[in-house]
Amino acid sequence: MQSKLSDTELIEQTLAGNQAAYADLVKRHQRFVFTLAMRFAKSREDAEEIAQDCFIKAYRSLASFQGQAKFSTWLYSIVYTTAMTFLRKKRVATDSIDDENTFIQLENRPSGNDINNVENKSRSFYLNQAIGQLLPDDAAIITMFYKGEQSLEEIAQALGMEANTVKVKLFRARQRLKEKLERNLKHEAKELI
Amino acid sequence: MNSIEEILWNYIDGNCTPEEQNIIKRLIAEDEAYRLKYQELLSLDKEFSAIELDEPSMAFTYNVMEAIRTENAMVPLKARINKKIIIGITIFFAVTLVAMLVMVFANVNWSAVSAPVNLTYSIKMPSIDPGKTKIAVEGFVFFDVILALYLLDGYLRKKASARQA
Repeated sequence: MQSKLSDTELIEQTLAGNQAAYADLVKRHQRFVFTLAMRFAKSREDAEEIAQDCFIKAYRSLASFQGQAKFSTWLYSIVYTTAMTFLRKKRVATDSIDDENTFIQLENRPSGNDINNVENKSRSFYLNQAIGQLLPDDAAIITMFYKGEQSLEEIAQALGMEANTVKVKLFRARQRLKEKLERNLKHEAKELI
Repeated sequence: MNSIEEILWNYIDGNCTPEEQNIIKRLIAEDEAYRLKYQELLSLDKEFSAIELDEPSMAFTYNVMEAIRTENAMVPLKARINKKIIIGITIFFAVTLVAMLVMVFANVNWSAVSAPVNLTYSIKMPSIDPGKTKIAVEGFVFFDVILALYLLDGYLRKKASARQA
């Protein structure tokens, strides 16, 4: 059972030497941190390694956490830097999708029939699949915006960018995600026909 | 210039000023293209909000805490000793040294300094009375203090290790 104490209270207890309080913090944030790590690593093993590393780093520097930003924002900035370092080390090959021409531009949204053809698979499956096809940065911004309860300013703080840059990146990431989702659904529909 | 999509996403995210909101609201109500696009983006927004989070392994929290415990255990003893204890010991020895010096100087017969050639200083030594001499009492107190510091150190270590467990 998770603690009902706030993040700040759990941090204070951890700093006072109560390690159980930090275990509660880990339990509270582990799903999101792991999901964010998955956006960069693509394999569960690597994502767990990144997520674990993040929590250890956060524990080490907990005393330096000023409390000016949300703990989650601070934690996500650690996830981002750790994941980027991990990617650099592992030299994970990622296809560039910066070039707009690499996308298949769809003129129309899939028809209702297309969706009916693939009703045996849930829409969330295709959504996760599409997120997996995005660039790590795009996937991370989408995840932080929709699941991390982070405002554009907080995401900017975590990623070390300007809020306006994040706004533009979020807009493009949503467009790309929409396109990937539609392409995957169309592809699946064609295979079934 | 912003595209329809960009304008509508700003509206959906609530990043518009009240005036912009009113304009967009009117556009959605009056313009078919805006209305259709708005509905499409709204359903996408709802869908994106339903993204499922991945679940790490069952032992994730345990692994993190175990890694932290191991890391703490690997910290050299030198780094783990409480600085207050070191300062306490330093103060204790400094006070003892000063007290000893004061005692020695208090027992020096300073009148002998005024004597021109007489180099024989008469230092009053405490009378040797086994069991009741001042030195024996001081030694006993010194031993007690060291013992107290030792026990305090042991107690603090136990407390710290219990907190980590």
